[in-house]
Amino acid sequence: MKGSVTAPVTEDLRLAWLLMRGSDRREWWRVMLTAVGAALATGFGLAALGIGAVRGHVHFPYLNGLLDEPGIRPGVVVALLLLLVPVLGFLGQCARIGAVHRDRRLASLRLVGATALHVRRIAALEAGLACLLGSALAAAVAVPLVLHLWDRPPLLLWAGFALVTLAVPVVAALVSVVALRRVVASPLGWVRRVRPERDRSAWLTLGAPTLLVFAAAVLVLVWGTQASSTAFPLAVFGAVLLTAVGSVAVAGATSKITGRWLATRTENAAVLIAAERLRTDPWAAARTHAAVILVTIVGVGFLGIRQLLLHDLNGPGPGHNYSAEDMAFYTTGINLTGAAVLVALTITLSGLAVGAAESLATRRRGLAAQAAAGVPQAVLGRALLLETALPLAPAMLLAGLGGTAVYLAYGLLVGVPLPLLPLLFPAAVYVSCLLAAATALPLLRRVIRPGELRYT
Amino acid sequence: MSNEVPLLAARALTKAHGRTQALRGATVELRAGEILAVTGTSGSGKSTLLHCLAGIVRPDEGSVVYDGRRLDQLPEKQLSELRRTEFGVVFQFGQLIPELTAIDNVALPLMLAGVRRTEAHKRADEWLERFGVRGQEELRPGEMSGGQAQRVSMARALVTGPKVVFADEPTGALDSLASEQVMTALVHTVRETGTTVLLITHDHQVAAYADREARLLDGVVRQDSVDLEVAQ
Amino acid sequence: MSTRHILLGLLAGGPSHGYDLKRRHDERFPQARPLAYGQVYTTLQRLVRDGLAEVDGTDSAGGPERTRYRSTDEGARELAKWAGEITPPAPFVTNEIFAKVVCAILASTEPADYLRAQRAAHMERMRQLTAVKTATGTDLATVLSADYALSHLDADLRWMNTTAARLTTLTAEVDAA
Repeated sequence: MKGSVTAPVTEDLRLAWLLMRGSDRREWWRVMLTAVGAALATGFGLAALGIGAVRGHVHFPYLNGLLDEPGIRPGVVVALLLLLVPVLGFLGQCARIGAVHRDRRLASLRLVGATALHVRRIAALEAGLACLLGSALAAAVAVPLVLHLWDRPPLLLWAGFALVTLAVPVVAALVSVVALRRVVASPLGWVRRVRPERDRSAWLTLGAPTLLVFAAAVLVLVWGTQASSTAFPLAVFGAVLLTAVGSVAVAGATSKITGRWLATRTENAAVLIAAERLRTDPWAAARTHAAVILVTIVGVGFLGIRQLLLHDLNGPGPGHNYSAEDMAFYTTGINLTGAAVLVALTITLSGLAVGAAESLATRRRGLAAQAAAGVPQAVLGRALLLETALPLAPAMLLAGLGGTAVYLAYGLLVGVPLPLLPLLFPAAVYVSCLLAAATALPLLRRVIRPGELRYT
Repeated sequence: MSNEVPLLAARALTKAHGRTQALRGATVELRAGEILAVTGTSGSGKSTLLHCLAGIVRPDEGSVVYDGRRLDQLPEKQLSELRRTEFGVVFQFGQLIPELTAIDNVALPLMLAGVRRTEAHKRADEWLERFGVRGQEELRPGEMSGGQAQRVSMARALVTGPKVVFADEPTGALDSLASEQVMTALVHTVRETGTTVLLITHDHQVAAYADREARLLDGVVRQDSVDLEVAQ
Repeated sequence: MSTRHILLGLLAGGPSHGYDLKRRHDERFPQARPLAYGQVYTTLQRLVRDGLAEVDGTDSAGGPERTRYRSTDEGARELAKWAGEITPPAPFVTNEIFAKVVCAILASTEPADYLRAQRAAHMERMRQLTAVKTATGTDLATVLSADYALSHLDADLRWMNTTAARLTTLTAEVDAA
C-alpha cells in the first residue's frame, strides 16, 4: 500500500488528465472560466506590481501623466488590488460549476482505494493547472508590455512577476484542498443534503485577514515611515480581504434572515421556493453577493466624490483656476477610477450569471420533475430571480448607506453641497444584477425538458 | 371488457430518443377509476409511455386522448396546467423540492392554484395524515427515509384532487416492507377518491396492487415490434 | 407439511376437541388449505397411539358428545424437537412449469404460449392475494401468509420471464439431446 501513498506526482497528473478528458461539458466550463478568473487576478496583480515598482518622478506618455507622480501611484495600486475582490468572488462561483459531479467522482476514487492525500493532490492539480493556464496567459501579455514601456525594469520586478504568476495557481490549489476536506473525508461522498454548518469556518476566514491587518499595522508602527512602502500594500490587501469576508458574512446573514422571514410568511409559491433555498444554504450566493455589496459601496462613494471633485474643479471662486493640463490630469484620474469600478461591476455580474446558471444545472433533474408535475416554468423562473433579488435588496440598501457615508465624510470635509445622484447607483446595480441572473432563464427552459427525467 | 369510453387512451404511439426507439406503436387504454400496471423489463419504454400519456412529452406518431382532448396536440401551456390540475405524478425520486419542508412540498400545488397558505397547509396536513406521515411535517426530504419521502410525494400528487395519478416506479428505491406500506396507502386512498392510476413498475408484487396489467415487451426480445399485451 | 406437529402445536395451547382444532387451524393459518375433519380425527388417533397425546375427557354441552384431547410430556418434547429442526431448503426441485415447458418442446408445441397463459394466471392470483392483504381490517397472520404466497408466485414469474427470453436456446438444447 505504501506505493500508492508515494506515487509520483506525474501519475496523479495523468489520472487528473484522464478524469478531465472523460468528464462532461460543465467541467470544461469550470476549467475555462477558472482560467479566465486566474488571468484577471494575475493581470491585476502584475499591473499593481509594475506600477508599485516605479520609483520617483517619471515620464509616462499615457493617461495625461497620471502615473508620473509618486503620490498618485499608491492609490492606483490600491485600486488594482481592490479589483481582486470581485475576481475572487468570480473564481468562487466558477469553482461551483459541476462541483456535485466532481465531488462524486473524487468520492468514488476514494471508494476504490485512493488515499485522502491522493485525492487531494488530484483535486489540487486540477484547480492549480487551470489557474496556471490563466496566469501564464496574463504573464505572457504583461511581460512584453513592460518591456515595451520600460527600458530597464529592475531585476526585482521580474522576480515579483514570477512570484505572482506562480502564487495564483498555488493559492487556488490550496483553496481547493481546503474546500474538499469533507468529500475527502468520506468515500461515500454527500448523497443526502446536509444543512451546511459553515459559521465556524466563516469566522476562521474572518480571523486570518484580521491578523494580517494587525500585523501590517504593527509593521508600520515598528518600522516607521521608511518601511511603510512595504507595509502599505500588505495592509491594503489585508483590509480588502477583511472587507470581502465581512461582506460575505453580511450577504450570508441577510440571505439567512430574509429567507427565514419570508419562508414563514409568504403566500407566493415562487417566493416560498426562493426563500427556503436561501434559508437552507445562505452562503451559496454570498460570495458573489459580497462582491456586489463591495462594488456598490465603492461605486456610490466614488460617484459622490467624483461629483464633489468636479464641482470643486469647475466651480467659480478664488484658487479654483486650474490649467487645462491640470484639469485633464484630474479628470483622467477620475475616469480611470470610474473604469475600474465598471470593470469590477462587470466581473461581479459575470460571477452572478455563472452562479445562477450553475444553480440551475445542479438541480436539473429536480427541476424537470417539478415541471413534469405541472409547476409552471414562470414560477421556477421567478424563484430563480428572487433568489438573487431577495437577499440583495437589503444588502443594496446597506451598501448604498455605506457608500453615502464615504462621500458624506468627504463632502463635510471640503464643505460643498451634497449630490443625490450617486444614490441611484445601488438601484442601477440591483437592476443589472437581476438582468445578469436573468441570463440563466434560457438555460432553465432547456433544463426542464423531460429528457432530464430519464435516469442515466 | 366494457364498452365505456376510456378516460385516457393512447393509440399506436411511437417515440424515439435519438437512435433508440423507445416506443413502436404502443396502444393502451385507461378506464376511469381503475389502477393499471404497466410492466416490462428495464429499457422497454415504460417511462416513455408514461411521459406520453401524462402530456410530459409528445409522441412522434400516434394519438393520446384524455377526456375528449388530444394531448399530443395541446400547447405546452395548457399541458402544464392540465398536469397541475387534473394529473398527479409520482416518480422514483426527485419531485420533492429539497429545500422545502414536507408540508410546504405538499401545499405547493395548492398555492400554485391560488389557495391561501394557511388553508393549503390545513389540507396538506390531512393528506399527510392519510399517508401516515403526520408528525413529519417539518422535515425536509433529505431528512426523511425513502418510504416517508415517497408517501409525501404521493400526498403531493393527490392533494389537488387529480383525476389521474401517474406513478413511475414509485417503490423503485424502497425495500419490500416500505414498498408495501407505500402501495397500501396509495391503493386505499385512490379507492376512496376514485382516482385513476397508471402505475409503472418492473416488480410483479407492486403490479399486483393494480386491477389490470399491460406488459410492454422489449423490441430486442421479440424481433417484430414492441407489443402491448393486456393480461386478463 | 406435518399435520401431526401442527395439531400438537395447537394442543399446546390447552386441551381441545377435534372440531375446535380444525377451526383454530383454519383461523391461525389463513389462505392455507383447510383441514378436513376426518384428517384431524385420524391424526389425533395416531397421536394417542404413539403416546404423544391422550384423551382429556368428554364435552357434551348441549350438543353431540365430543372427545377432548391434550398433549402429553412426550408430545411437548416431540413438538419442541420439530419446531427447532431446520426445514430442508428445497431438497428436490419440483417445478411443474418447467416440466411442462420441456414436454411442450419435446411434443413440438409452442411453450411460449403456455408460459404467457401461465404468467397471466400467476398475476391474477397475485392480484387476488394482494386484494385480500390490503382489505381494511386484515389481521397480520393473513398479511403474512399472503406475503409468503406472493413471494413464491413472484419468484415463479421472474423465472418464467427469464425462461421465456431463453426459449430458443432451451429448444435447441432439448432437441439436440
